[in-house]
Amino acid sequence: MKVTKDLAELCALLIDEIYGELPSRIFAVLLNRGRSSLGQLGQYTSMTPRQLRHGLAVLIQQNLLYYYIDNDTKTATYEANPEPAYNLIRTGKILEMVESAHGAPVKDVMQSLLLLGQTRVSDLKAAYEEKIKRSTEGAQHANSDLDMVDGEAPPAAKKANLPVKSARQLNSIICRLAEAELVDVVHGLTFASPEDIQKDVEERVTRVKFPGGVKGGKGKTEFEEAVAMELCKIRRESKSLKRKLEESGATAAKRRKLLNGGVTAVNGVNGDHDADGDPVLDPRQVIRVNYEKCLVELRNRRLVQFASEMIGDTSSYVYGVVLRQLTKKVSRCHTDPNMDIGDMGDEDGTRQPVVTTMEILDNLPTTIDPSNGLAKVARSRINKLSAEAVQPNPPDPNKIPFLGGGDDEDDDESDESDVEMNGKHESEDESDKDAKSGVNGTAGKVRFAEPARKEGRVDMLRQHLYLLAENRIPFIRQCANEQWTVDFTILVQHLREAELDAVIERTVGRQGLRLVRILRKNGKLDEKALPSISLMKKSDVQNKMLEMEIAGFVDIQEVPRDNSRTANRTIFLWYTDTDRCIHTLLNNTYKTATRCLQRLSVHRRKEKDVLLLTKRTDVKGREKDVMQKEYYDRFAKLLEVERKLLGHMMRMDEMVAVLRDY
Amino acid sequence: MASRAAGEDTPKVEILKDALYEEMTQHGSSDRLYNQNDLINLNIIPKNDLSLLLKVVQGLCDDRLLIATSDNRMGIAWRYRSREDAKKYTSLPNNETAMVYELIDEAGGDGIWSRTLKGRLKIHESVLKTCIKYLETKGYITDMKSVEHPNKKMYIKANLRPSDRATGGPWYTDSNLDEAFITGLERIIFNFIRMKSAHFREGATKVPKKGVAGGAGAAARGKKRAATEMSEEGTPAAAPAPTAHGAPGRRQSSYLPFPAGYNYYPTAHEIAEFISISGITNNTTLSEDDVQQLVDILCYDGLIEPVVVGRRRGYRTARISRLEPDDAAKLKEEEESGEESRLGPPPVSNGFVEAPCGRCPVFELCEEGGPVNPSNCVYFQRWLGLE
Repeated sequence: MKVTKDLAELCALLIDEIYGELPSRIFAVLLNRGRSSLGQLGQYTSMTPRQLRHGLAVLIQQNLLYYYIDNDTKTATYEANPEPAYNLIRTGKILEMVESAHGAPVKDVMQSLLLLGQTRVSDLKAAYEEKIKRSTEGAQHANSDLDMVDGEAPPAAKKANLPVKSARQLNSIICRLAEAELVDVVHGLTFASPEDIQKDVEERVTRVKFPGGVKGGKGKTEFEEAVAMELCKIRRESKSLKRKLEESGATAAKRRKLLNGGVTAVNGVNGDHDADGDPVLDPRQVIRVNYEKCLVELRNRRLVQFASEMIGDTSSYVYGVVLRQLTKKVSRCHTDPNMDIGDMGDEDGTRQPVVTTMEILDNLPTTIDPSNGLAKVARSRINKLSAEAVQPNPPDPNKIPFLGGGDDEDDDESDESDVEMNGKHESEDESDKDAKSGVNGTAGKVRFAEPARKEGRVDMLRQHLYLLAENRIPFIRQCANEQWTVDFTILVQHLREAELDAVIERTVGRQGLRLVRILRKNGKLDEKALPSISLMKKSDVQNKMLEMEIAGFVDIQEVPRDNSRTANRTIFLWYTDTDRCIHTLLNNTYKTATRCLQRLSVHRRKEKDVLLLTKRTDVKGREKDVMQKEYYDRFAKLLEVERKLLGHMMRMDEMVAVLRDY
Repeated sequence: MASRAAGEDTPKVEILKDALYEEMTQHGSSDRLYNQNDLINLNIIPKNDLSLLLKVVQGLCDDRLLIATSDNRMGIAWRYRSREDAKKYTSLPNNETAMVYELIDEAGGDGIWSRTLKGRLKIHESVLKTCIKYLETKGYITDMKSVEHPNKKMYIKANLRPSDRATGGPWYTDSNLDEAFITGLERIIFNFIRMKSAHFREGATKVPKKGVAGGAGAAARGKKRAATEMSEEGTPAAAPAPTAHGAPGRRQSSYLPFPAGYNYYPTAHEIAEFISISGITNNTTLSEDDVQQLVDILCYDGLIEPVVVGRRRGYRTARISRLEPDDAAKLKEEEESGEESRLGPPPVSNGFVEAPCGRCPVFELCEEGGPVNPSNCVYFQRWLGLE
């Protein structure tokens, strides 16, 4: 992650907002000065070692630091870790995502983890046990609702104010989170910076495998592979909990059964399961939130939103299912160039995951009716070959797909008979579902009575998949017959471009966007060619281009035709650099988020007296009753401003995620 | 040379000149080039006498009936000029005027800039002026405006129409870009594509629970719609009108995409056909290329997108689900106010552009402790509704 001035400022402010000024100042210094020892830090910050140690402890607890202990001098140096610092902004979104995907109790555990930073399992348990003890009677009442862990009955959370009701439930939630990779394990090297790890591993590999040094091209690749293997091993370390769970055979399905059994146990039917029944959960294990996997989930959500924007809601639901299936095994959005070279056979799977139509169908919620969201047309009006074309290779990312010449490769594969068969089969299934009370025979009859409507659920589903594949944005690709995959890198590039285009359109209008897209398609263009392509007045074009040059969306190159370099003997070529635009936009987004935070502190400073009042213990919690109306109004207004600004920061983060992380 | 020829057998040469000229006019338009062999092969000159041919051609050139040109492929060659045109040349008072007229003539439909004339002929400004004035009063040439060089004074032969390059094609009226015409056409094309490339679901129709009847109905409606539209000449703006008489308690109307592989997305050719049949552009004819240009603009604007189905390159509206159906009341209002509404779905927005910073004119200067800083920001104040 490249840290720009604005990002550094933002990270420091975020830490300040959540953990206070002391860690924030130390973090800012570390970002500005780079790796420093305690003594150096004392010099830079003019703080006492005691203060520094306090601050560093907080930072380490939240994984905001890397440290390195030199074996010879026995001194520790500290380095800022900007990624988790930035991720603080994302807390709310991650919690919301977890809640919608796994239910309120899981969210509660996640929230505790986010607040506590890395935590020992036993500590977490102790904290929860304490809470549970305090409101036992409430918990006992709500016990019958415990099966909401399945994520289907979150309203139960409202009834009892404690979402997690037993240590057993906590245990299962942690397992569940670990299995979803949303939580991983902290190990010794978590606090070593990637550069240190890389250096260490390289040294070790040279010592062990290449004592005579690395020689030749072949040796170099071998060396790189060996290093990558080692690095992967270290990376896999943090997944040890998940692996242990899998090895012990405590898969999701089994545990769910266990848990349900547990519920009855608490109710007194079968009481021989003790509270921490899962033996794999070592109480000394330290766990933390795995932001990388959270990002994958967030990316899925954003892509679904994108699909809904471009095509339609029903298709986007289908797309959501596809993405969920595909990303089950995907641990991170970006592959690491150091680790994922070649086909490493890593368990994370650098190979592209694939999902079949039937798998999608199996996971499609029954509430989604795929017959919606698509117009129905006669079969004769459909070019089946083109719609169902199989594209075994991902499109060339260098080729600009926008308006590009159509490569019409018609694969002659036709799976008509297959489709037909599946279709019939499925429609039967569906009618079963429809006529819940009816027997198979009647359902069959219904089907015969309506020969016009032969399309079953799977056919309709397929139609949505084809539609997604056909779109200008390559949402999905049929890589083999009935097998689907998503080329995330290319897709995200489109998403980024769309985000940039939105900004361009809002800043310089539709005509500006038109010009930028013309440049994007044609590369560099002479000033004189633009008006005729864009069908705009010459003066309008010139004004727009100037406006956009100031905004940084386009740039000009001067090519003199002779040595005199006079203006009328010079060719002016306009061009646009999309990558650079995206980088600038990213940095501006950091800056905007920073401004939001700074503005917030301005407002807080202004209303200092009110805030001081609300901090009093006799006022806290019942501000409205206790405070004078005038004061309370000011307080409410401040809360309003705070909500707006923080909400807006979330939206900025959404953009940062698209532009940088996905 | 000419005087020598005139001395000897003038009558014979005169006859041959006429015969050769007539034969050349019979063999093609005035654009055709003849080289020496072509002329000999016309079988006018007896015994293929080259010196005689020389005399005849020279005579014709003197009469301005032949124009000598050089061609890369054929070498030196001639083409003929009509007798009326030639008469114009011979009626000119002096050589300078003839030369000026010749250059303007050669420039053809693109016209020629007066400065170029001066540079090529190396004659004095005042001489050039009198020549041009004479030609203009005679009605041989006229001034024109070129789109490419709006500020240059250009001349063109009076009986020629400026070429497309000079006028800018159908998009220009009186050498001004006709933006109203273009946006009007864009609107028509967009509406046409919208009508043909997305299925319009009326808000009033209730989709039955399992969609059996509704599905069939929708399919039938979809087909009918598409079939009638081909022959219909009505304005496409009227197409989504059904919303207007929808039931009062209607559900939200929306557009639905066609399944993948839909073979009837309109192509540029079909759009051009539609425009020419509808007669919207009554005094300008739009070629398919012109229409393609408009379609490309719509693509660049992100309103439509190309879809390649098989060998067919059709177009459909982008972001179909976000498309809002035309509201009859709103349309009327616009008509009355004379304001053009924005085409297509509402623009995408994101957090950045909605924050004050995203459109702040002094964003670059803004810094804590600087003259412009977050604390004294007026835009934030307004945005937060504190003013």
